[in-house]
Amino acid sequence: MVLTPDFSPRLLISFQHVWKRYPNGTEALKDINLDVPEGDFLFLVGPSGAGKSSMIRLLIREERPTRGKIYVDRSELGRMRRKDLPFFRRKVGLVFQDFKLLPTLTVYENVAFALRVLGEPTRVTRTKVREALETVGLSHKETKYPRELSGGEQQRVAIARALVHKPRLIVADEPTGNLDPATAWEIMQLFLQINARGSTVVMATHNREIVDLLRRRVVAIEAGQIARDDRAGKYHEAVAASGIRA
Amino acid sequence: MKLWRHLGFALSGAWQSFWRNAAVSFAAVLSICLILIMAGVNLLLGHALSGVLETYKARVSVISISIADETPLATVDQFRDQLESDRRVAGVRYISKDEELGKFSNDPSNRQIVQQIEGNPLAAKLEVRVAKLDDVGAIDRLARQWRGADRNDPTDYQGDFISRMLQLSQWLTLGGIAVLSILTVVSIVIVMNTIRTAVYHRRQEIEVMKLVGATEWFVRGPFLLEGIMTGVLAAGVALGLLLAAYRPFVERFHADLFFIPLSYDPGYVNRLGQDLLIGGALLGAMGSYIGVRRYVRI
Repeated sequence: MVLTPDFSPRLLISFQHVWKRYPNGTEALKDINLDVPEGDFLFLVGPSGAGKSSMIRLLIREERPTRGKIYVDRSELGRMRRKDLPFFRRKVGLVFQDFKLLPTLTVYENVAFALRVLGEPTRVTRTKVREALETVGLSHKETKYPRELSGGEQQRVAIARALVHKPRLIVADEPTGNLDPATAWEIMQLFLQINARGSTVVMATHNREIVDLLRRRVVAIEAGQIARDDRAGKYHEAVAASGIRA
Repeated sequence: MKLWRHLGFALSGAWQSFWRNAAVSFAAVLSICLILIMAGVNLLLGHALSGVLETYKARVSVISISIADETPLATVDQFRDQLESDRRVAGVRYISKDEELGKFSNDPSNRQIVQQIEGNPLAAKLEVRVAKLDDVGAIDRLARQWRGADRNDPTDYQGDFISRMLQLSQWLTLGGIAVLSILTVVSIVIVMNTIRTAVYHRRQEIEVMKLVGATEWFVRGPFLLEGIMTGVLAAGVALGLLLAAYRPFVERFHADLFFIPLSYDPGYVNRLGQDLLIGGALLGAMGSYIGVRRYVRI
């Protein structure tokens, strides 16, 4: 029997015996159990097809688990009604490998877009967008269009958009996948800074160097299962590990 | 305040999307405009024909009951009271023999006959106005059973003509509904596909909207407004063209087929304008709602 987790004030995410099977029969996740306290910085690592992206999709409720329960901020995502979903997404900041910026909008407008959707007044939007752009170091480029920016700068805009509404949780799916090592490192510094301000960060990544350098919590996924969960882990240890220590 | 900001966002989104896909948008406006013109012609013809039918119906919903000469006035009054208290009857008028003769004599085509007749061979009449055309037959049967009615020619009821007219009226109504239904479905499909093109062009924006927590209605809003804009614009153009053609058409028709009492009705123009604009807006809204429903599901 699955019990509702004992949420201490600091537990933000809880996966409980989560299984995910796709309609084509692929078993993407098998009996995943994972707790993430508020303020944690967690790397999800593992080879392609291991189930990292499935976990991310479940975490932002793009998919529902086949079995088991996922709690984020005390809400059970599997039972969440469609009409409540937008309000859940507003608590989460999302960052993707392909940035997902709107090419017809300027840097400022791209970041402001997240607040327009929420119906924030223009004055409030202006203050918050400028703050977010300052955090990512792009205040001087607010009138530029995405095509006029480098890959790293575009990812910074995406991060500014993700944090402009001050979410408690930042979920990033391969945010450095399209960037050179130096730029990737800059972006990681930014995530660390955001984490230091109190946001929980969950990041799926293939970037071995960064994982090894940062020595943060590492959860390795292999064949749909948690192969290792280390508090200050390394990429290669995690992937090479045998046996499950969830 | 938030509602106004959302409405502003939806309006600007709809406006941008309409012009960004200008070719598709105008093709949709043109197609719906043609359909609304057909619908408008259908409505105008229906209105004109129902006017013609109403004229005929008004004529045939009155029947005259001939009263036998020997019938005492008290019996006539009694039957008249009976008819007046009948719910199906809208009015009864007694026409005396003299009045009938007067009417007959006033008709110039009867002048020769009037000179040849002696006395007054015409019967007094009860002219009964029946509220619904369907009930004329029943009132006729009632009159024929009345003992005061003239045995040779009790009423002037033309059963066949009335039943044919009722049938014609029903077929015209059914035909109008069928044509309008087909046109409605076609317009909805056109708007649906236009909006799907707009959704395709804005798929990236929709994806980002969903990710940053937009509600389904927030995402749908601009598309619904774009559909309504398309429908109303098409209705406006269709209305302009119909109004320009309505009067000249009726005048031409009247000149060629003067025996059909078709007439220009300025009062109906407002009603037609209202119907077309509301119809256009509804078609646009429905088409875009159906078109966008599946694609903006969060």
